[in-house]
Amino acid sequence: MEIVVCLKPVPEAETRLRVASNGTTLDVEGVKFVLAGYDESALEQALLLKEAVPGSKVHAVSFGPAPRTEEVLRSAIALGADLATWIEGPSGPGADPVTAARVVAAALADVPHDLVLCGKQAGDDEAGLFPGALAETLGLPDFDSVVDLRWDAGAGRFTFLRATDAGGERWQVPVPCVIGLQQAWNDPRTAKLPNILKSRKAPIAKRAAAEVPGPASVPVGFALPPPRTGARLIDYKTPDEAAQKLVRILREEAKVFP
Amino acid sequence: MTGAVLVVGEVQGGHLTPSTGEAVAVGRSLVAGAAELVGYAAGSAGASAAPEFGGWGVARVLVAADPALDGAPVAATAIGVAAEAERLGADIVVVPGSTFGRALSARLAIRWKAAAVTGVTEARRDGSSLVVARPVFGGRATERRRVDGGRVILALRPHAFASPAGAPTPVRTEEVAVGPLPPVLLSARRVSVEPTAKGAGPSLTDASIVVSGGRGLRSAEEFRLVEDLAVSLGAAVGASRAVTDAGWRPTSYQVGQTGRSVSPQLYVAVGISGAIQHLVGMMSSRVIVAINSDASAPIFRVADYGLVGDLFQLVPALTAEVRRARAS
Ligand SMILES: Cc1cc2nc3c(=O)[nH]c(=O)nc-3n(C[C@H](O)[C@H](O)[C@H](O)COP(=O)(O)OP(=O)(O)OC[C@H]3O[C@@H](n4cnc5c(N)ncnc54)[C@H](O)[C@@H]3O)c2cc1C
Ligand SMILES: Nc1ncnc2c1ncn2[C@@H]1O[C@H](COP(=O)(O)O)[C@@H](O)[C@H]1O
Repeated sequence: MEIVVCLKPVPEAETRLRVASNGTTLDVEGVKFVLAGYDESALEQALLLKEAVPGSKVHAVSFGPAPRTEEVLRSAIALGADLATWIEGPSGPGADPVTAARVVAAALADVPHDLVLCGKQAGDDEAGLFPGALAETLGLPDFDSVVDLRWDAGAGRFTFLRATDAGGERWQVPVPCVIGLQQAWNDPRTAKLPNILKSRKAPIAKRAAAEVPGPASVPVGFALPPPRTGARLIDYKTPDEAAQKLVRILREEAKVFP
Repeated sequence: MTGAVLVVGEVQGGHLTPSTGEAVAVGRSLVAGAAELVGYAAGSAGASAAPEFGGWGVARVLVAADPALDGAPVAATAIGVAAEAERLGADIVVVPGSTFGRALSARLAIRWKAAAVTGVTEARRDGSSLVVARPVFGGRATERRRVDGGRVILALRPHAFASPAGAPTPVRTEEVAVGPLPPVLLSARRVSVEPTAKGAGPSLTDASIVVSGGRGLRSAEEFRLVEDLAVSLGAAVGASRAVTDAGWRPTSYQVGQTGRSVSPQLYVAVGISGAIQHLVGMMSSRVIVAINSDASAPIFRVADYGLVGDLFQLVPALTAEVRRARAS
């Protein structure tokens, strides 16, 4: 099975966010970009499928600028990706996710793909638009919020659970398809040192981003909320008193009591 | 462009979801001049649910009552919506802030050749442009985006807007066809639908109150304390990853970076330390209450109100008090 996994380099979770001097985006100066969140899970899922389905290949694809995009692809290789494609161009915090999907779709036209795995949403823009837009451009079905993805070799199709607001839906889907993964792994693998060293010299196919003129949104502002001042701790002598005080506050002051 | 706005309703259990009302409110505020706001409902229950649009003042609703849409991927619904948006000459489509709405907007962006923005908490026209605000980085920042001219799809952040109030309007419904669905969409099959839990309350993303429990609950059995509190409040139940990793509750309960993002009116964190990966999934909640025995737990830095103490004493007392207060 040819598994393509789309990875977006995002600022690491602990990043202290600052506003760039243009006032419209995140200041990325000194920010460490990593493979994180759902994309880390998507790669782990791709590798698990490869292990389960003999003859599979995992192809990591990422669209973005140097050096972060190449670094994320090298970490994917160190973890076990067989191939890597770097689509070099402007993408990242503040960029339009539908445009990114159209750029990547253009690059996938001549890349074999039975399954395209994405994160449900990127850790920075949290748009959740890329997988669906990619699938519509490629003429494939897409499924978001997927967990428990399994390959049914006998029937030649995937089964999975789609986590919806109302609960879950079980699906049976033949290839090719696009999946936006919402899986939390207990222990995603870590790269072994020899593989990290090898990944530094591994080949990465590099392409220029296609021009895809079309409708898009542009960032015009980026603001940080005033810092939370910390909780008002309610003092009490007995649990009953604590409960009474809290309910009164929720009702009269915060006005959120049902 | 006519300035018309199309609002796509989400039908669940035969009814329009509350978040559809939020989409109507935003659609209403964006209708330009004398243009029209039109509702849309799809699937075999679409026809019976469509009149509910009238409760939010929508007088005209398009109904794609094709049963083939029921078990098909969201992409199938996008086909009909794009065709109707085109026919109306709409320049804005508003969809609810749900899993459905987000999935729909991505497909629609390509199919209807429009810009799309999700998680929207503010939207206004500015001349021929549209300006929106949306939280990013798990609510740790807010970005503003602008779309200049052309078409836009807005998927809202749940609970960011109030449904329109007022007298209901009689609804004129119009049957619209979707046309044959492409075979590639029909080969995907939804084989079953599972509710979150038997007799469970509201879903995590829909709920206006969420009560979440963490490792402090100690075991799968004792996690019931959190569920009892949630029932008393009419709240949905969430959990930290420590809980889902331990298998005390399924991963669908998980709130955070690798779980769900929620933004309810009230979020109650019980026995949760407040790791950054948890915080990014709930920090944009309006009011946060934390119950934890460790006064230095990071959760107290983002909470509005805190009870420092033993949850095994505090939570049962709180559940009892909530029951009493709601009964009186
Ligand atoms: C890549 C990655 C992704 C992750 N994604 C997520 C995610 O999506 N969601 C998530 O939640 N986590 C996530 N995590 C895990 C996260 O880092 C924390 O480990 C996790 O949130 C901790 O859960 P907890 O607060 O329940 O447990 P703990 O950190 O162990 O906290 C338990 C708390 O309970 C309190 N407590 C104990 N006993 C009592 C008592 N009797 N009364 C009152 N309080 C008590 C303690 O003081 C403590 O603060 C992720 C981690 C990684 C590395
Ligand atoms: N520039 C990119 N390069 C590769 N994959 C991407 C890119 N942007 C988004 N994706 C994928 O799409 C998912 C959702 O992104 P988003 O729509 O931005 O929230 C991510 O988790 C990635 O899997």
